[in-house]
Amino acid sequence: MRIRLDPWPIDTLDGQLTLEPFKGLVFNVETDGWHAIAAQAIPARVRQICVVDGKPRMEARLLLEDETGTLSLAGFGAFVVGAVSLCPHGSRQAELREVKAQRVLAYSGDLKLEPTRLSPRNPHTGLLEYAPVTFAGAQLEGAKARVQRLMLDAEQQLSRDLASVMPLDETDQNVLPETLVLQDGPVRVGEAGRAVIGCVKTLHTDYLGADRIGLLGTLKPGERTPILRFTVGDRGDGSSSGREQRFTWYVRLSEPPFYQHPLAGVMRLEMHAPEDVDFVPRAVLDAANLSGTLLGRLASAPHKDARAPQNLIPTAALEQAMSRAMGSQELVTRRIRSHLAREIGAVA
Amino acid sequence: MTQNLKLSNPGSTQPPARIGMVLGTEDVTPTIFWFAVSAGASVQLDDLVVVETQRPDGKTVTFYGLVDNVRKRHEGVTFESDVEDVVAGVLPASVSYAARVLVTRVDPENFIPPQPGDVVRHARGHELDMALSADKMKEGAFPGGLLADGQPLPLNFRFVNGEQGGHINISGISGVATKTSYALFLLHSIFTSGVMDRVGLGSGQGGTSSGRAIIFNVKGEDLLFLDKPNNKVADKEAEASAAKGFAADRYTMLGLPRQPFRDTQFLAPPRSGASGDAIVPNTDQRSEGVTPFIFSLREFCARRMLEYVFSDSAGSLNLGYVIGNVEEKLFRLANAQTAPGTHLSVTDWRPDEQTEVPEGIDWGDVGDIQIKTFDHLISYLEYKLLEENDGAGDKKWVLNQAQGTLRAFTRRLRGVQKHLSPLIRGDLTPAQAEKYRPNLLRGAQLSVVDIHNLSGPAQMFVVGVLLREVFEHKERYGRQDTVFVVLDELNKYAPRDDSSPIKDVLLEIAERGRSLGIILIGAQQTASEVERRIVSNATIRVVGRLDLAEAERPEYRFLPQSFRGRAGILQPGTMLVSQPDVPNPVLINYPFPAWATRKDEVDDLNGRDAADVGDDWLR
Repeated sequence: MRIRLDPWPIDTLDGQLTLEPFKGLVFNVETDGWHAIAAQAIPARVRQICVVDGKPRMEARLLLEDETGTLSLAGFGAFVVGAVSLCPHGSRQAELREVKAQRVLAYSGDLKLEPTRLSPRNPHTGLLEYAPVTFAGAQLEGAKARVQRLMLDAEQQLSRDLASVMPLDETDQNVLPETLVLQDGPVRVGEAGRAVIGCVKTLHTDYLGADRIGLLGTLKPGERTPILRFTVGDRGDGSSSGREQRFTWYVRLSEPPFYQHPLAGVMRLEMHAPEDVDFVPRAVLDAANLSGTLLGRLASAPHKDARAPQNLIPTAALEQAMSRAMGSQELVTRRIRSHLAREIGAVA
Repeated sequence: MTQNLKLSNPGSTQPPARIGMVLGTEDVTPTIFWFAVSAGASVQLDDLVVVETQRPDGKTVTFYGLVDNVRKRHEGVTFESDVEDVVAGVLPASVSYAARVLVTRVDPENFIPPQPGDVVRHARGHELDMALSADKMKEGAFPGGLLADGQPLPLNFRFVNGEQGGHINISGISGVATKTSYALFLLHSIFTSGVMDRVGLGSGQGGTSSGRAIIFNVKGEDLLFLDKPNNKVADKEAEASAAKGFAADRYTMLGLPRQPFRDTQFLAPPRSGASGDAIVPNTDQRSEGVTPFIFSLREFCARRMLEYVFSDSAGSLNLGYVIGNVEEKLFRLANAQTAPGTHLSVTDWRPDEQTEVPEGIDWGDVGDIQIKTFDHLISYLEYKLLEENDGAGDKKWVLNQAQGTLRAFTRRLRGVQKHLSPLIRGDLTPAQAEKYRPNLLRGAQLSVVDIHNLSGPAQMFVVGVLLREVFEHKERYGRQDTVFVVLDELNKYAPRDDSSPIKDVLLEIAERGRSLGIILIGAQQTASEVERRIVSNATIRVVGRLDLAEAERPEYRFLPQSFRGRAGILQPGTMLVSQPDVPNPVLINYPFPAWATRKDEVDDLNGRDAADVGDDWLR
């Protein structure tokens, strides 16, 4: 019996390493061999890397009561998406882009609601305005899920807007686009054709199988595995054919400390794949080749970030900026209460 | 020169641009607050700023203050090593540039805090006058130096001349603190800015009022050339103006003439020599225009100067008793003299009864002995106290004091004999005595008394005697015509722990001089070692470069912490000035002396080219 630590702290939602076997089919697309591939330098052509992330927050759970006395669930929520724009060659300072919070009143049913405006109590506290959005059904977590969905959509939209168009030819040299987007989590439906790389921090699904996963433990920092292709949602029973396809590869960002599992410090990256192609477009290959160098530079250090190295330095800064953009939860709660108090007429 | 000191810069009329906003992440108080400096603006220490805030009733309160701290830091990052990631372009961060303001004035006096977000601007023109309380000083303002941005700092003469306060105290390390230079600059400013006349008129005294200054030159012959132009001043000032980016030289900006002191006299002790030698001043670099000063022996007795001979040691009670008694005896003796001259004629001295017969005794015509030297005076005292009546002494002189005390007395006198003999002489004619008597209050506007060549006891004697004379004179004639006394090394003359007659005089000046019109411009290396009452009586306090350990002593608590830290790095020519009208000290620089401070700085050519002067000679 050997005991190793999961790298992530116990108070995060999940561990980093769950390694559920992927039930679908995974194809070799880059090479038939299974060996480490060294990182390459970032081409001068790539001028900008945008790290995109988003954050949702529920600010109050609400119960709405209509004229007939019927109760329905709702919630005040907020979400924010944003990006850090940086130069992969370090030629300028990194900057925050588009970090803006939005507030919604998520509710179920066919009620017609006006935007709720929480008037400021003094000129410095600003205006809080909750735009009404509906969600279907009456489930308990509906409001929260709606806010999450809105956040993901906004995140995806921002990634799309920021990323260059991705050429998917097989052979063209120098096709790597000018702006690459590193997006938190897997790439989404609808992002096809854009230079968006999904950064999956956790290894919850094992796409490799017992015979291949050993390579991950032996990767040196910056090295990657060959590129693979799989179909999203493939459960191995043929039920999901026709869904979108993904290229994926693994990169090691840093050496794991001896007390952690050997897979600590490894990150899985994803990009869109054109349907049923048996080649890797040149641009994807180039992106994979530079990924080790780029992520090695962006990887965080364990004494600064509990989810190091996968939680990248710009990502952590972005998370902090996003929390700030949403404002203090306590102050917002207080504002909501005083707003309701005035509505009801408990205070003048 | 009757108009007020002009501080305002008449060129710009529109209000200066915003340089920042009051911060909300630090406490904002009516006396101290931080502001975030706007992008592109530059704020440095000592900048004077102004903030306006609105009260809920719509009235405006204006805060004037002084920047005493500026800092930059990365905002939004947690770790110190993050700077590397920021510079590498990986971590987004912004630089926060903030400045702390010590409020010098709130107008009107509503001590509410400014609101975070209030706009901060540089104080200029009228606002600067308000920040430095120049509007309160009116005609009493005279320039005390230049602020960092080239505007003159007004000092209030009413707090100098004793009207509302008096005395100036300057602290700093020797050499780099330039204490004496600043004291002279202040005198120059007082004498030439016309402030004395303005205040005289303003106080309803009418006419002009004049002032005099007495400077004791305690080291080198630095101050013996104050009446000569300095040949380096033009270059130095051009250099300084260029370095600081001023449009004109600093004298022009201060509104002061660039000239040496005009109405001066220089006094120096005589060279020691045998009686009958020519009396010449004991100075090395300058002899022309320097008057030797000598006290006549008869005056020494008649004016009770004996106690200042013992200045350097705190005598025991008994010794003090002997000194007082002998002083009284000599006083009576001197008053009983009928013959003209400066000697002391005694009839009750039998030198042949002494174990050691003094040489060169001067027998008078009628069997008396004429005491003409300090040496003989001591011999006479030895005879009266220890030798007469087979060693019992003269009862009236001894007054039952123990032999030990009497011997201590004579031993001490012998100890200082060598030092005082050239200064106290009984062989002068009355005309000579008149000529060489130091005359500080009826002569020139500025008297320099050179005592640097004197030994310690003689310095104490001279300073003590002269200061007492000034004090007694002012006691008789009142406070008109202020007398400024510049004295360096107060820790020697008025040490905190010992007592001495000279310290008593200084204390009198510090505590009562204000109302008599005697203003002490005192300087010392360490205020912590000077009698507390002397330092605490100074209304205007100035600090040059200080030892950092010294700067933490309670005497310097009038400096806020940040200023105490900076006192350790002040350059020559830069001082921190604290005055009652402005609650915080202000950093100033002052111009290079227009007068020579060394012989090689003397501008013999009167500013002309050497070639021109040569041509004149050849013609």
